[in-house]
Amino acid sequence: MRKFLAIAVVAALVLGALGGVAAAQDKVIKLGTLYPLTGPCATAGQRCKAAVMTAVEVINNAHPDLDVPLAAQEGVMDGYKFELVHADTQGKPNVGKSEAERLFNQEGVWAILGSYNSAVTKPASFVAERKGKIFMCGCSSSAALTERNFKHFFRIAPTDKTESHEFVTFMDWVNEKYDADIETVGLIYENTEFGKHAAEEGKAAADEAGYEVVADVAFSPGATTMDSEVQSLKAADPDVVFGACLGGDYTLWVRTMKKMNWLPKMSLNYCTGYQDPMIAKQLGDDGNYFMGGTGYSPQFADLMPAVAAVEEIYKEITEPSVPFDSDSIKEAAAMFVLAQAIEKAGELDHDKVAKTLHSNTWEAPLTLSGEVAFVPGGQNELAMSYLTQLQGGDYKIIYPPEVANAELVYPMVPWEER
Amino acid sequence: MNLARKDYLLAAVFGIFALLPLIPGVLPSSFTQHVFLLIFLYASMSQSWNVLGGYCGQVSFGHSVFFGIGAYGAGMAVVHFQTLPWPGVIVGAFAAAAVAMVISYPVFKLTGHYFAIATFAIVEIFNRLFMVWDWVGGALGLDYGLTDTGIANFVWYESKVPYYYGALGLMVIVFSTVRWIERNRLGYLLRAVREGQDASESLGVNSTWTKLTAMGVSAFLAALCGAFYAQYNFRVDPPMVMSLDVSMKFVLITLLGGTGTLWGPLLGAAVLIPLQEYTRAMFGGLGGGLDLIIFGLLIILVVVKQPRGIMGILEDLTRGRKSRKQSEKGGA
Repeated sequence: MRKFLAIAVVAALVLGALGGVAAAQDKVIKLGTLYPLTGPCATAGQRCKAAVMTAVEVINNAHPDLDVPLAAQEGVMDGYKFELVHADTQGKPNVGKSEAERLFNQEGVWAILGSYNSAVTKPASFVAERKGKIFMCGCSSSAALTERNFKHFFRIAPTDKTESHEFVTFMDWVNEKYDADIETVGLIYENTEFGKHAAEEGKAAADEAGYEVVADVAFSPGATTMDSEVQSLKAADPDVVFGACLGGDYTLWVRTMKKMNWLPKMSLNYCTGYQDPMIAKQLGDDGNYFMGGTGYSPQFADLMPAVAAVEEIYKEITEPSVPFDSDSIKEAAAMFVLAQAIEKAGELDHDKVAKTLHSNTWEAPLTLSGEVAFVPGGQNELAMSYLTQLQGGDYKIIYPPEVANAELVYPMVPWEER
Repeated sequence: MNLARKDYLLAAVFGIFALLPLIPGVLPSSFTQHVFLLIFLYASMSQSWNVLGGYCGQVSFGHSVFFGIGAYGAGMAVVHFQTLPWPGVIVGAFAAAAVAMVISYPVFKLTGHYFAIATFAIVEIFNRLFMVWDWVGGALGLDYGLTDTGIANFVWYESKVPYYYGALGLMVIVFSTVRWIERNRLGYLLRAVREGQDASESLGVNSTWTKLTAMGVSAFLAALCGAFYAQYNFRVDPPMVMSLDVSMKFVLITLLGGTGTLWGPLLGAAVLIPLQEYTRAMFGGLGGGLDLIIFGLLIILVVVKQPRGIMGILEDLTRGRKSRKQSEKGGA
C-alpha cells in the first residue's frame, strides 16, 4: 500500500510538472527571423538578428530601468514570452521564400521579422500574406514593398521614395542658403531590387524638382572594380551624386573616386554602406564629407535618449561588440511595435493584431520620430531620417536645420586637400 | 548469376520508383516534401547536364543560361503576357536549345579546359545582358502576382503535393529521355566522342553534329527544369537562375553522383540536396555559415575519396563482393 501511495505521489508530481511545462509552453509566442546570416550582407544580417534578440530580451524580462515600451513588465498578455527561431536567407530570394515557408509550416512561428534585402523580403512576405500571417519588416527600403496592398505586411523604415524627396528638398535648401548652384544629378546604384528602385525614385524626384539627371550608372554588387562606373560619373561630372551602394561596394566606390581624383560637389546616399559606422571607420579620412539619410547613429544620443540603455544589451549580444546602426535599430523597433500590438490586441488572432497595428499610433523611442503609424499597404507614415555628413569620422546632423548640430561642408573637400 | 543480380537491382530501382508517388501520403511534412521535390528537380537538372558533360565529355559551366531561359520563358508568359505558363515553357525550351546550339558552334572549336572557360564567360555575358534588359524585368526580375491555383497556371500556394508530383513527372520525362538516348545510336555516338574525338572521327562520326545535338537536347531539358523552378518560386531574376552559382550545382551534383551514368545525377541529388536543406534548417540560423562548412566538407570528402562519385563507390562495393566470391570459389 505504501509502495502504491509512493508511486501515486511520484506520478502526480510528474504529471503536475508536465502540466506546468505544458502550461509554460502554451505561453510562448514563436517568432521567426529571416536575415542574410551568410553571404555578402552577412554582417548587416547578423546585426539585425542581434537587434531583434535585444528587443526580445527587453520585452521578455523585467527591465524597469529602461524607458521603452513593455520593458517594465515580463512578456506580453499577462506572461506570454517570445521565442525566436532564426533562419538564414543567404541574401537569396528563393532561399528566403523556402525558409519563410519552413518557419511557418515546420517551426510553427506566429510571425516573421526580416529580411534586410528588399529582393528577399518580397517573396518571403508574399508567403506570409498568403497564409494570413504577419510579416514585420524593419529596414528593407524598396518602395514597391508597401505598394502591394498587403494586409499583413508592415514596414518601419522610410522608403527610397521618401529619401529621394528629402534629398531634393535638401538640395533646394542648399541652393538657397549657400548659393550653391546645384543643377545636375548623377546616379550610381547596385543593379538589384533595392538599387534599381532607389535610382528610379531618385530620378523621378530630381526630374520633378527641376534637376537634370546627367549620369545613370548601375553596377553589379560585389564588383571587384568600379573603374568604368566612376569614369562614367567623372565624364558626366554631376554636381550631386545619389548613391545606392551597400557594404563593401560603397568602400570600393569611394576609394575608386579617390584613385581617379574626382568628387562631386555633394554625395547623398540611401540607406547604404554610408550608414555603417564600421565602414566609416575603415574609410577614415576618405569617408568624410559624404552625406546620406541616417535613422540612427550613436551621435544622435541627445535626440533619442531611450536608446543608450537598450544599446548596452545589444553591444553584449553582438560579436564584435558594436552600437546600433540605422538598419539594425529599425529591426529592434519593429519587434517593439509588434509586441505592443499583440499586447493591445490581447489575443493571437493575426487579423485582429494586423487591424490593431493599422488603427493605432505606436510608441517607438528607437525611431527618430518616436512614433510609428501604418497606412494601408503597411508603410510607416511617420518614418523619417535626418541628413548627416561625416565630419572627422562622426555623423553630424545637417538637415533639417532645427535639429542640425553642424554646418554643412560644401562642396566636398577635394582629395588632395585632405 | 550476373543476370540475376542485375534483375534484382532493376527490381529494386523500380520498387523505389513505385514507392515515390506514395511519399506525400506517408510524409505529410511540407518541408520533407520540399526536400524531395528539390531532389527530383536537381536530379533532372543534373541529368540534363549529364547528356553533354557526362555522356559526351564536354564539361560545360554554362547550363544556368539554358535553365534561366526556361525560367524566363514561363515567367514572361505569366508576368509579361499574362497567359498560362505553358506556351512560355515550350517557347523557352526551344529558345534555350536554339541559343545553345548557336553559341556552342564556335565554342565547340575549343576543347578541354578552354571549352570550360568559354562556358564560364557565356554565363557572365547572359547574366549581365538579362540584368540590364528591361523587357525581361532587368535587375528587378519578374514577380508573379496572385493568381488562380491549379494545374492550368501550375501554381499552388498552400500545398507542396502538386509540385511534388510535378517534379516527379519532370524527372521521369528527363530520365526516360536520357535512358532512350543512352540505348540508341546517339548514345553510342556521344560516348565515342567522349572517349576520343579524333579516333571517333576517323571512324566516320561527325563530332560537331554529335556535340551540337547533345547541347541542344541538354539545353532543352535544362530549360524545362528552369520553367518548373520559376513556377515553384513565383519569381525569376538573373542571380537566381542565370549565375555561376546555379551552373556549379549542375556540375557538382553530377560529379558527386557519377558522370556519364544514368543514376549518378539522382544519387548526387539525393545526397547533396537533403544535406544542403537540412544543414541550413538545423544550423543556418546560428549564423557563421556552419551549414555551408559541413556541406563543403562532405563534398570534399566524397570527391577526394572517390572521384568517380557515389556510383564509383557502389561499383567498388559490387566489385569487392564479386572478387570475394570468386576468391571463395577458387580458395580452398
